[in-house]
Amino acid sequence: MTEQVALYHWEPNANSGKPMLALAEKGVAYESHYTDLLSFDQHKPEYLKMNPNGTIPVMKHGDRVLTESTAIMEYVNEAFDGTALMPEDVQARWRIRWWMKFMDQWLGPSFSMLGWSMFVGPSVRQKDPAELDAAIERIPLPERRTAWRKAISGNFSDAEMAESKRRVALGVEMLEAELGRHDYVASDEYSLADINWFNSTYSLPLGQPDLAGKDRTPNIMRWLKQVYHRPAVQETWTKGRTDLASRYRLVMEEID
Amino acid sequence: MGMMTLYHGEPNGPSLTVLAALYETGLDADLVPIDLSLGERHRKAPLGVESAMSIEGEGPVLEVNGEAMADSVFLAQYLDERAGGAGLQPSDPLAHWEMMMWCRYIIERVAPAAAYLGNRAHGTARLKNLDGPAFDMLTDAISSVDLKQRWIDIRNGDFDEAKVADSATKISEAVDKLEERLADGRDWLMGDFSIADLESYAWLAGMVSILPSAFDRAENATAWMVRVKARPSVAAALACAQSDDPTTAWAPGPEINRWG
Repeated sequence: MTEQVALYHWEPNANSGKPMLALAEKGVAYESHYTDLLSFDQHKPEYLKMNPNGTIPVMKHGDRVLTESTAIMEYVNEAFDGTALMPEDVQARWRIRWWMKFMDQWLGPSFSMLGWSMFVGPSVRQKDPAELDAAIERIPLPERRTAWRKAISGNFSDAEMAESKRRVALGVEMLEAELGRHDYVASDEYSLADINWFNSTYSLPLGQPDLAGKDRTPNIMRWLKQVYHRPAVQETWTKGRTDLASRYRLVMEEID
Repeated sequence: MGMMTLYHGEPNGPSLTVLAALYETGLDADLVPIDLSLGERHRKAPLGVESAMSIEGEGPVLEVNGEAMADSVFLAQYLDERAGGAGLQPSDPLAHWEMMMWCRYIIERVAPAAAYLGNRAHGTARLKNLDGPAFDMLTDAISSVDLKQRWIDIRNGDFDEAKVADSATKISEAVDKLEERLADGRDWLMGDFSIADLESYAWLAGMVSILPSAFDRAENATAWMVRVKARPSVAAALACAQSDDPTTAWAPGPEINRWG
């Protein structure tokens, strides 16, 4: 397959970071379309024509249009030659899928609730409220509209925030234990599960030092360091434009 | 590769998917029926972190090499791959992506809605029959805090009316989506039979009696359900039932998305 690959992504972080890192690991060159989440680029008519759900990232491969970051990674792994990002061992493949889903569906939403309340919400709220409202109205899916309203207003209840904090703390504990059982997340080889988890946990030692650090979570620190030094990670991180990129460097310094 | 033991509930929801996938592959496994709707999974099945924290809630557990595996779609993929490719997943990367997207839609949107409605219709009455100490014994064995809360809510009959209405909408939308998908005359959702057919059928079969209006004008979807049910693998899975009507067997399922 020699068709052109184009990726519509935000920062090399959370969901956008997944296909970026998978493509970099495979050595697949792609046309990068930086899509600014904070300017609601993903809700503009031309973007919605491509992905009616208005979610980032989107990958085009020839005339194929793919959405949903974890599913895109699996496609990338199957459609391109290069380093295998899923092991041959069938039981390990099951485990990798389980850990990715656990992040995507159970832990990830809690990470994003905390991230939104601390970082994205405050920066978006500096925009004109009428403009924000119009941007939300453009989102076709009602449940996405609800999620964005919640995210922008920052109106998470105390109970919701407490539940998210509980999940993040438990998720970090589970990851630490898992990295005691295996060299990498869910297996002894670097895989899609590592890319998936790394994108949401790389800044933990900086953002949540009470949960993760040299003394408290030595396995996680060992793993973060291994992943940090992968050429694909280094190359991908240069594509970041916001403060997140400088946070990476701070975390690196802390670890090295 | 290690012997397999499958601890399964009534052939409805996730247990139906995994039992049928097993029969599709022709692989050997010891079958151990347990009553998921009484929480037996937490006392009679081996549990590891993945099965105790499964996002699916109360699904079957497959034990291989001392590891307790969970989550029906991934178990079906495991069985298919262990058999060297039993034809339950497309080999073309794009078709595979499409199947996984479909399954993810079922897992994230349809299964939580079906479980909410199923437990409201059948779960509460059953759990109310347990006395306090018996119910406490059931929930004490559950390590996942949010799963335990779903058990308590079901026993108390604590269902949010907005979520009930939203769940009914999600089921209707799923049936419409099936109807549209099958409109070109295809037999199976992905063209060839796949895990997507099993997972969709497994969660929707119990909705016919609870939400008949969703199926009113769904000729294609109804005919597809008859086809899925008639497959030898599904018939064999349904023959594992211990009760007269397994579509009424429900246990706490996946949670409804916290972001709405």
